Amino acid sequence: MKKLGLIIVLICGSLMLYGTIDFPDWADPSSPASTHLSPYFIETAMHDTAVPNIVTAVLADYRGYDTMFETTVIFAAGLACFFLLRRFQRRAPDVNLFRHMPTGITLRIKKGGKVPVDSSEFERIDSIWVPYDLIIKTTCRLLIPFILLFALYVIAHGHHSPGGGFQGGVILGAGIILYAISHNLRAAKARIKERFDAYMCSAGVFIYVGTGVLCLLMGANFLDYSALAPLLGTDPIMARSHGILIVEIGVGIAVMAVMICLYYNLSSAGRQDEGL
Amino acid sequence: MSVIIIIFLATGLVFFAGGAIGIIRFPDFYSRLHPAGKLDTAGLFMTMIALALYTIYEFNVDNLITALKIILIVVFVFLTSPVATHAIVDAGVRAGLKPWTKEKEKEDNK
Repeated sequence: MKKLGLIIVLICGSLMLYGTIDFPDWADPSSPASTHLSPYFIETAMHDTAVPNIVTAVLADYRGYDTMFETTVIFAAGLACFFLLRRFQRRAPDVNLFRHMPTGITLRIKKGGKVPVDSSEFERIDSIWVPYDLIIKTTCRLLIPFILLFALYVIAHGHHSPGGGFQGGVILGAGIILYAISHNLRAAKARIKERFDAYMCSAGVFIYVGTGVLCLLMGANFLDYSALAPLLGTDPIMARSHGILIVEIGVGIAVMAVMICLYYNLSSAGRQDEGL
Repeated sequence: MSVIIIIFLATGLVFFAGGAIGIIRFPDFYSRLHPAGKLDTAGLFMTMIALALYTIYEFNVDNLITALKIILIVVFVFLTSPVATHAIVDAGVRAGLKPWTKEKEKEDNK
């Protein structure tokens, strides 16, 4: 079986290598891509969409379909991780550890013992003993707002500089993951619940597709943002620019939610009670 | 002005080179974190100061803002780099790694 697989891989690989012979050379100025496509985008992107960053214009406007399905792929990756890893049977741990906050004493409560009432004085901690680290917690609490702010900047500034929904979404997700690492998984889940995360996941994709459908309803092609001009109250060219921003926000939300979902499931082996 | 910039850049590169050599040459995990944490921060500080001075060579508001952004990088690295080193050392101690000593190495070589 293994040999058969190897043979198939070798045949496919050699066919693909054979196919690359027909490709134009690297940086060939007379290739179709650089004689037709690139000059067209360079010359018309600014007039058509009022977006100075041509990459963003091509990504979210001219190639809107492509990016929509990229977002769907990310959503599918999150779903796959959820279905493969998530385990719902709750297994009561043998020992529960609690920390008394004012004194720093750790309580060890065996199965069946009386668990302290959830108050501000007691904090449940993981069975893999985690010391109370003031330095890391304080620094992360200082840094996370700046990280999230920077992520929003990256999303919103994708029109003018490198950035956009994917990058900004990853930074947003990383901010939340940093919070989960510096405290623990339960603290992060208290902020962003699993259900909320799942809603955000689909909401991101929904915003993207919904924008496209809205364009259809306004009587234009799917994802032709210039049709949104009457809704946004601007001229068609600026409407394309705003449409790109709406779509980028959708991408950002989806990517952030998927990143968080991946971290929650991978760090706790799908149980989501204790993790890193 | 350019002399000052060159001096800053050269000092920064010395720090970076020291850090790189230190990571290779030091004997164990904990002592390797010493050049990784300190010298990289110092080198980055020097080079970033040089870059900030270079940007405000022609002084106007735009260049000043760019220079301030570069200083902001230094501020964030100064916050995060020691904390990251602290966290790594903590993880090493908790995982039970013993620090290197001369006696222990002699015993290992016997």
